[in-house]
Parts: sequence; structure tokens; C-alpha cells
Amino acid sequence: MSAASGDGRGAQRARLELGGMGLAAPRALARRAFRDARVRTISFAYLFAILAYIQPVGYRNAYPTLSSRLAFAHSFGDNKAIRLFYGVPHDLLTLSGYTAWRVGGTLAIFASAFGLLAAVRALRTEEETGRMELMLAGSVGRGTAYLSALAAIAAGVLILGLAEFAGLVLSGLPAGGSADLTAATASIMPVFVGVGALTSQLASTRRMALELGGAAVGLSLALRVIADTSANAGWLRWATPLGWAEEVRPFTGAHSIVLLLPAAATVLLLVVAARIAASRDIGTGVLPSCESAKPHLGLLSSPTAQALRSERTSLIVWLSSIGAFAYITGVLAKSTSTAGISKSLQHEVSKLGTGSIVTPTGYLAFVFIFFVLAVSLFVCAQIGAARHEEADERLETLLSLPVSRSRWLGGRLALAVAGAAAISLTAGLLTWAGAESGGVSISLAGMLEAGANCLPVAVMFLGIAVLAYAIIPRASTGLSYGLVTVAFLWDLFGSLLSVPHWLVQATPFAHVGLVPAQPFRADAALLMLAIALVGAIAATWIFQRRDLTGP
Amino acid sequence: MQLTPLRPDTPEVRSIANRSESAIHTDGLSKRYGTTLALDGLNLTVGKGEVYGYLGPNGSGKTTTIRLLLGLHRASSGRAELFGLDAWSDPVRAHERVAYVAGEPFLWPSLTSAETFEFLARLHHGTDVAYRDVLVERFQLDTRKKIRALSKGNRQKVQLIAALATRAELLLLDEPTSGLDPLMEVAFRDCVKEAKGRGQTVFLSSHILSEVEALCDRVGILRDGKLVDEGTLAELRHLAVQTVEVTFAGDAPELPVLAGVHVQSAGPNALHFEVSGGVGPLIAALAEHPVTTLTSREPSLEEIFLHHYEGSDGHVGG
Repeated sequence: MSAASGDGRGAQRARLELGGMGLAAPRALARRAFRDARVRTISFAYLFAILAYIQPVGYRNAYPTLSSRLAFAHSFGDNKAIRLFYGVPHDLLTLSGYTAWRVGGTLAIFASAFGLLAAVRALRTEEETGRMELMLAGSVGRGTAYLSALAAIAAGVLILGLAEFAGLVLSGLPAGGSADLTAATASIMPVFVGVGALTSQLASTRRMALELGGAAVGLSLALRVIADTSANAGWLRWATPLGWAEEVRPFTGAHSIVLLLPAAATVLLLVVAARIAASRDIGTGVLPSCESAKPHLGLLSSPTAQALRSERTSLIVWLSSIGAFAYITGVLAKSTSTAGISKSLQHEVSKLGTGSIVTPTGYLAFVFIFFVLAVSLFVCAQIGAARHEEADERLETLLSLPVSRSRWLGGRLALAVAGAAAISLTAGLLTWAGAESGGVSISLAGMLEAGANCLPVAVMFLGIAVLAYAIIPRASTGLSYGLVTVAFLWDLFGSLLSVPHWLVQATPFAHVGLVPAQPFRADAALLMLAIALVGAIAATWIFQRRDLTGP
Repeated sequence: MQLTPLRPDTPEVRSIANRSESAIHTDGLSKRYGTTLALDGLNLTVGKGEVYGYLGPNGSGKTTTIRLLLGLHRASSGRAELFGLDAWSDPVRAHERVAYVAGEPFLWPSLTSAETFEFLARLHHGTDVAYRDVLVERFQLDTRKKIRALSKGNRQKVQLIAALATRAELLLLDEPTSGLDPLMEVAFRDCVKEAKGRGQTVFLSSHILSEVEALCDRVGILRDGKLVDEGTLAELRHLAVQTVEVTFAGDAPELPVLAGVHVQSAGPNALHFEVSGGVGPLIAALAEHPVTTLTSREPSLEEIFLHHYEGSDGHVGG
């Protein structure tokens, strides 16, 4: 992180200086921070490499001829509804242009999440747990601690960049363009590391720092979406780091000069964060945190009620972000149209794994597979929260009271199912509302059914996640998130590869009837619910027989 | 169960007969974590209304015992009962009669103390709200503050108040005063004495010897997962060494070697004796010498405790 220390000049430099202690301590700190983050780094690197490899390979398989690509470009190039997900395509006729659009658009969102998570983990979580205080009580200065944390994150960013670059080159893309695309994706991470560093100074808790940073990610994405889908709002792309990455235009006439924007923003954010970090009390944030309050006695009557109270904020965030997203997709459904697209191309498009995407109904059905993913991730988060309660040993406090293990776990499961149902139905309702206000007539019942259709897969993943929680509590959270992600990616991209049919079908997402374009698949849904039930019963049985497990 | 009886006067038969009147009863209770044997064949009976001190250094198995008693961890062998109810298979009914204070205060950071009290009271029927208010006053707790804003000692107070206010028949206290200041330590001792006065049973795990000495009827000493000694303080003292200090008119004499007597020089004309067993032979030996002063005191709990840890393998803590 010589760049960051080089930019903090004058007085700042003195504060950030490594003192007379040499590089042993910062090196040890950075190494430990890197080790702490290794699971996240490896998972993201894996995701980056797979996505970067599989997209170009899939495109080559799905659209082998120029005519099929022309038709594809024609249908997708002007399709605002698709731009919502991946941004504006600049050249869909070539493999590289397609890759820049699909890989760049998708990884940009993951990159911003990675930057934020890494920074908050290294800066605010360390402080909240008191470990930072321990380090600073030793011979480590604040500047050293800050720079060591950033050095560890920089190593992670480098690994992710290498993973993406390797995936692109292995798929047969030219190295130069792959480097540009990788640079565009990687440019997003430091900016959101800066955002995370700043929110870690503002907020006094990890949760609040993540919420503030998450709002920044959401805002960046929303600005990018508006810029890419509204007629006269293209200039808004310059107001968001995700837009900058688009403007780099790798493969299609790269504007590397744009990379100066994220560089400048990163430096600015990191220096401001460093200044605040150097001057505030350890353990506090700049924003006032409310430390006393009149008692609010609602939602304290049972462990489940109290769990709802703890999860309230996160549930509201899920509901409102999924709801907003659903509404926008509903509005944009209007812009999808089959006019001028041949039947054979529609068949080709359907190879993307989702049926006919170019009708409003087909598009909405396509979008709902993302809601199935979101709700599945939500239930993983709920089991993660239950595990957190045990790891922090608050569960010990609860179970020392006349509260049975089955009552506690059953309550958490009920809460997860209820939350998942609320999110699913909200998605259906607001998609309908959006479509109506956009001028597409679609049945409310059909969209609510599409919403409810998210539940069987999500509930099945809940059953699997809770079973993992009962058997291997410490590894369960990462395992269940990983399983959902892999299953989803396999559904999206497995069909693009030349693999046997049964292997393509080896993910629950492939067995979701794409309501409203396809009928609801009751057989698959019943099987998933049965798996969920078996998982939940087995989990309860095992959980009642194991020791509570600390962090 | 391969066990040597801890006290020859407590045969297994009697402890079974006492079971229904006991608050805590364990029978060959063992717990193994991987290759570590954390608790090794614990036989323990705590009668109703008794204040029992459970002593041992860090890592000796105190918290493991409590986790097994609460059914939070499952015994590898043996069994534990609270009021005759199996700790593992019938925890909910047992917990209706128990209140627990953990060594580390694990509470919900976003709740205030008042909200925490409300939540815990809803889960534990029979909380005495009036007494809780008295306790809040006595422990000087600001109940409007959120748990995350409280120091460790204050969070410990929240747990203690919530537990004491239930007036549960059995209080399981795991190093409850860690983090409390001396004033609050006094308040805590008063509360335990009140609880005893009301007939509540108290199981106090601790390594603060003065606290145990001041409060407990009976004491058990745990070492490496084994109960190495148990009894009333008087009984423990009887078995442990006594300290005798003697000064002489003139130089200290050479005394014959006596069984059970360990001698040390304590100045040019003084000797320091540590005597296990009776002091009779020492007195007889001293009678022939010009003794000016002789002081003898019974061992403190600390000395008894250290005696057990300086035992066979010669170093503290094993």
C-alpha cells in the first residue's frame, strides 16, 4: 500500500508513518488479516474465474454463426429490461464484446460487495471485537494498523483480478482485452474498499457500517440502472463507480483513461477515512450511536419474537430492496418485445436457460429466477443469524432458561419461512404493480404465483442449511451460501456448455417452473418441500443431541 | 465407573437415598472433548438449601460441570440430575427451578438492560419484579443503557440481577463476580446470604477463595476434571496442614525429624512448622527447649487449595 502512504502528505504522512519499528509488525498484521479473510477471498476468486471462463465459452456454443449473433444482438441490444442486469452492450456480435457486457456487468456487482465486506471486516469488525485495541495497546500505531489492513485487502483484490484474467484468457480471449476488462472490474473494488473504510469510521458497529456501505452499493447500482435504461440519463453513468467500469469499454475500444476516476475516488476516500481514524477514540464511530433508550417491550414475549426483533432491520432492508427491484423490472417489462425476432432465435435465446425471454411474460419469468436466488440467500442468512446466536453464546443464556432446543430452532425456522414468504409475495406484488404502471397488462394472481414459486427452492435450501447447521455448526453458514451460489450458477451457465442433459439438470433451479411463462411444477415443488421437511426433522433431531458450539 | 470414594463416610448407597432431597446430583459424570478429558467421573451431591463452593483454577472443569448440569453439553458417560430431573433429557422442567449466571455475560447488544430483564422474565416465569427493582437499586445499574454500551462488570450485574430476581430454587453461578468492583462484590455476598436465608440452593463456582470462604457451607476442590477434596471448611482444615511458628530464647535448636512435620528456619531464633495430622509429637519435642512464643493458626482456604495443587506432581495446576 505504498500508494496510500504516498498520497497522505505533510502532517498526514507523519501520522501514517510506520515509526521506527521496521516492517516486521505491519507484515505480521497484514498476513494475519489476509489469513482471516481467506475463505471469502477464495470463494470470490472461484466465482470470478468461473464466470469469466464460462460466459465466453457459453456464447461460443450458443451463437456459433454470425447470423445467430446478429439476431441475438438485435434482440438484446435495445432491450432495456436486460440492460437492467448487465448494463449497456457495445458490441454483441463478437465474443469479446459479449463477454465485456455479461462478465463485466455481473462481476461489477460482486466486486463492489467484495470491497465493502473486506474493508468493514478488516477495520470495523476488528475494532468492535476489541482486537484493534489490543494491537494499538502494543507497539503498533494507528497508521500501521490501517495500512496493514489495506495491504491485506490489496492482496485479495490482486488475487481476484488474477482469477478473472485467468478465466478470460483460458476461455480463448486475447490477453490485452482481458487485461482491460479485468482492470475495469478490479477498479471497482478499491473504491468500495474506500467506502467501507469510510463507513467503518462513521459507524460504531459492524452492522451499521455494512448497512451504510450497502446503501452506497445499492445507490451506485440504482444510478447505473437508471443511466442504462432511461433515454436521457446516460450522463448519470459518470456518477457511479459501476458506470465508470462500463465506460472503460474493454474489448470495444478501451478508454483506460477512465480508470483515473476510480483511482482518484479511492485515494480520496482512503485519505479521509485515515484522517478520521487518526483522530477519533478507539471503539467509537463519528456518527452518534444511541446508547440509552426508553424500554420498548414489544417482541420480547418468546425467543422467536425476540429473534424477529433482532432481524427486523435486516428484514426491512430485504423487503424494500427486493420490492424496489421487482417494481423496476415490472416497469421495464414493457420494453421487451418479440417484434422482428425469428422463432429460431427465440429458441436460441431460450438456451440461456429461461425460456422465451423476449416477451414481457418471458422476461418476468426470467427475472423471477433471480428472486428465487435472492430468497434462497435470505434463508441462508437466517440460518447464519441463528448460528451467530450460538457462536456468541447467547443461545447458552436462552437454553439455560426453560426453553427447549426444539422450540428455539423451530421458531427460527418458522421465522425464516415467514420472511421468505413475505419477500416472495412482495416481489410478485410489486412486479405486477410495476408492470401495470408501465402499461403491461398481466394478471396479479399470476405474479403472486410467480412469487410463491420462489418458496419451494428456498425452503429446500433452508432444510439443507439447517441440517448443515446441526451437523457442522462452524462451517454451516459458508457451506449453505456456497451451495446456493454454485447451484444457481450451474443453472445459468451449465446449459450453455456441452455437458450431458442429466448433469445440466443437477440443480434445483433447473426444476423451477418459470411462472408466469411456464406452468407451476407441482411435482418438483413437492419433492423440494419433502427434502426440506426431512432436512428440518433430521436437523432438529441432531441439534437436540449435540453440544452447543462456541465460536 | 472406576472411582475411589471421595469421602469414606459417604457411601454410594446413602447418596442415592438422598437423591430426592438433593438439588444437584451427579453420578460418575464425565465429559471428553476430543482427546481432552475435561471432567472425570464426578460424583457430587448438593442438598437443598446448601451453599456449595466449587473451587478450581482455570481449565479445571468448573464450566464444563455447569454446562453438563444445564444440559447444554452432553455427558460422555455418567449422569447429572437437578431436583431428580435428568439434566440432559428433561432440561426444560429442570430449568424452571434454576437460574444461571454465566462467567461471561452473553446478552443481546441492542437491548437495554430493562428490555433484557423483560425478555428473560418472560422466559422464566415467576420473576419477582419488586425484588428486581431492589436489586437494580442495590447494584446501581442504569437500566436505560443498551447492553453494548455497558462494561463487562455492568453486563455481569444485568445477568446477576435477572437470575437473583427469579428466586429460583437453585442458583448456578459460574464465577459470577468476575468484573465486579469490591463494593458490588459486597452487594453480591449480601444477596447470596439472603438467598440462603430464603432456603435457595446456591452452587457457586469460583476461584476467589475469600468469597467461597465467606459464603459456602461446603466446598469441593476440582483439579484436572477430578474432585480431589470435598467437605465443610472445618473438615478440610482438619485434613490440611497447620502452621506453627515458634521463637526461642537463644538460637533455634536442632529438632529430631518428625513424621508429618515440615520445618523451615524463620530467622536466627525462630522456626516455622507445617504440620499435617496432630501437633502432639511436635509439642512433645519442643517441651525440652526454651520456647518464648508459640503461635498456631488454622490454614486458610488458600493454603488448603494450594496444598492440593502442589500435590504429587509438585507444581500448581497440573
